[in-house]
Amino acid sequence: MNKTIFQLAITALRRQKTRAILTMVAISIGIAAVVVMSAAGKGLEKMVISELDVFGPNTIEIEVKVPSVKKTSSENAMGLSTGITITTLKDRDIDSVRQHPNIEYANGSVMGQESVSYGGQIKKVVLMGHGWEQALIDDVKFASGRFFTKEEEESLNSVAVLGNAVKQKMFGDDEAIGKTIYVKGKPFKVVGVMAKRGAAFFFDIDNMVTLPTKTMQKKLLGINYVMYIMAKMKDRTQAKQTAVELTEIIRANHGITDPDKDDFAVNTMEEAKAILKTIIGALTLLLIALVCISLVVGGVGIMNIMYVSVAERKFEIGLRKSVGARRQDILWQFLDEAVILTTGGGVLGIVLGALLAFVIYIVAISYGFKWSYILPFSSILLSLGFSAFIGILFGVYPAKKAASLNPIEALRRE
Amino acid sequence: MSLIDVKNLSKEYRNGEVVTPVLRGLNFAIQKGEFAAIMGPSGSGKSTLMHILGFLDTLSSGQYIFDGRDVSTLSEDELAEMRSCSVGFVFQSFNLLPRTTVLDNAILPLMYTKDKRPEWSAKAKAALESVGLGHRLHHMSDQLSGGEKQRVAIARALINKPELIFADEPTGNLDSKSGLQVMKIFQDLNAQGHTVILVTHEKYTAEHAQRILRLKDGALVGDEKVRDRQLADGNGELRK
Repeated sequence: MNKTIFQLAITALRRQKTRAILTMVAISIGIAAVVVMSAAGKGLEKMVISELDVFGPNTIEIEVKVPSVKKTSSENAMGLSTGITITTLKDRDIDSVRQHPNIEYANGSVMGQESVSYGGQIKKVVLMGHGWEQALIDDVKFASGRFFTKEEEESLNSVAVLGNAVKQKMFGDDEAIGKTIYVKGKPFKVVGVMAKRGAAFFFDIDNMVTLPTKTMQKKLLGINYVMYIMAKMKDRTQAKQTAVELTEIIRANHGITDPDKDDFAVNTMEEAKAILKTIIGALTLLLIALVCISLVVGGVGIMNIMYVSVAERKFEIGLRKSVGARRQDILWQFLDEAVILTTGGGVLGIVLGALLAFVIYIVAISYGFKWSYILPFSSILLSLGFSAFIGILFGVYPAKKAASLNPIEALRRE
Repeated sequence: MSLIDVKNLSKEYRNGEVVTPVLRGLNFAIQKGEFAAIMGPSGSGKSTLMHILGFLDTLSSGQYIFDGRDVSTLSEDELAEMRSCSVGFVFQSFNLLPRTTVLDNAILPLMYTKDKRPEWSAKAKAALESVGLGHRLHHMSDQLSGGEKQRVAIARALINKPELIFADEPTGNLDSKSGLQVMKIFQDLNAQGHTVILVTHEKYTAEHAQRILRLKDGALVGDEKVRDRQLADGNGELRK
């Protein structure tokens, strides 16, 4: 870039400060949105991954699935959510999993929704049925009390562990341990209250009540199957091999020969992370693509301003040509102006976007999300490059128009 | 060899089917060091002729040879280079950049030459001093009187030391005193060896030149030496 011509562009822009600043603001909004989107995408990814890390990289999960479909497919999600119930995952499978040499603990889980009441207070909550080993698999922290024991589960004791928010709602600051709550009209003794966990990714654990799986199956749901099995591996480096072996074991249990007919799926956490990363990455990309539309709008704004500028400065262009400016001298002068405008808008947008992403981070943290403030350097570089590119793309036509002006026509001022 | 050699030069404007001839088969030559006036009433084609001679416009037919080079063979960049280094223009309406200092106005043509940046100011200063504006360097062009503006324009035209200076009705917007000062500068420049071509519709102004080419309806109708030349002095007084 020619230094003299660059300075001419700067001087010209300073003469139209308001216009230049407004144009930059228009571009900066688009760029800011790109920065916010990529920062939020990264923040979300971090959060989700850290949520998964709660379960630990040693966990392996076996969940039911509609046969003949992929476990990540929408058919599977649709099927499960529209009432297809897979009833084949049972105690026998949990035992088989538990007997695998690389498995330390395993337990089956069920879910349901019921009204829970205590002293006139009624609250609709999500009920989780977990085996007693859940406390060993998931690192559950307690505000008071404990998790239920193996004995309590096996003898179908009616015991309950409350999520922190449920306890607050029903008991306030009063002691909850030892009190009796009613779930679907049946009495349950509170043995533990979980520490506050904050809003977690999949569910709001604070608003759940946890019961022993067997008690929940027999006394509340009247079923004998589980919805998923959580297991903890001894050696996580064997995760892939373990998953393959568990698949074969359960397939044999269920008498399935054709893998396409599998009514379950074995997931390792590494796999789940990879899937989630892909989903979030794709989502972020989609949002950024949408945001790019606003950059195009900003670019058209630049084009408009540059055409106005060329029309207003015909005389200057004519004069410059009459004293020896070549076509490319004029072309570069106007192109420089457009690129300075968009790049300036880009810098402004990056600052704006960084601030906004920080605000989002503060808000997310205050709501208890494990958000992270990450500004990907690549997205900053990309934003700068993209804004300069917009300047060239939308500046080149007005600049060409300026460069091709006939000096005599341009000098003739009425 | 002539500086300017024009052979059968014609120019016409086309507007759809309508063809308007502006210059019809001109033939003349101007030597280095001459002070020539092109005189004619408005509409006679004198400005168009100046634009063609000054590489701002192209001819329709005929030949224009400048300093031995056939101008119609030059590329657009070469024409820009000619405008930059071989000719300087002084216009009736001054054509200074508004909201720009006198110094920066004079520097303008230097931006498009190979001159090194640090030398620009000194060159522009020297040119402005030679037209008596050494004390106005940092004034804005809008703050000057008409005569001063025209002298800035002359300094700008001179800055690349061109072979040839064109002046298009240079006194048209000036009072008679300022006009004479400007004419004096042109006569002095001519005395220093510059070739000057003056375009005017006034016989009196044209008589400051050594030779008058008369144009009428695009044709050359007269070409004579000025016998009784007007000589202007710096104070705006006439001496004969």
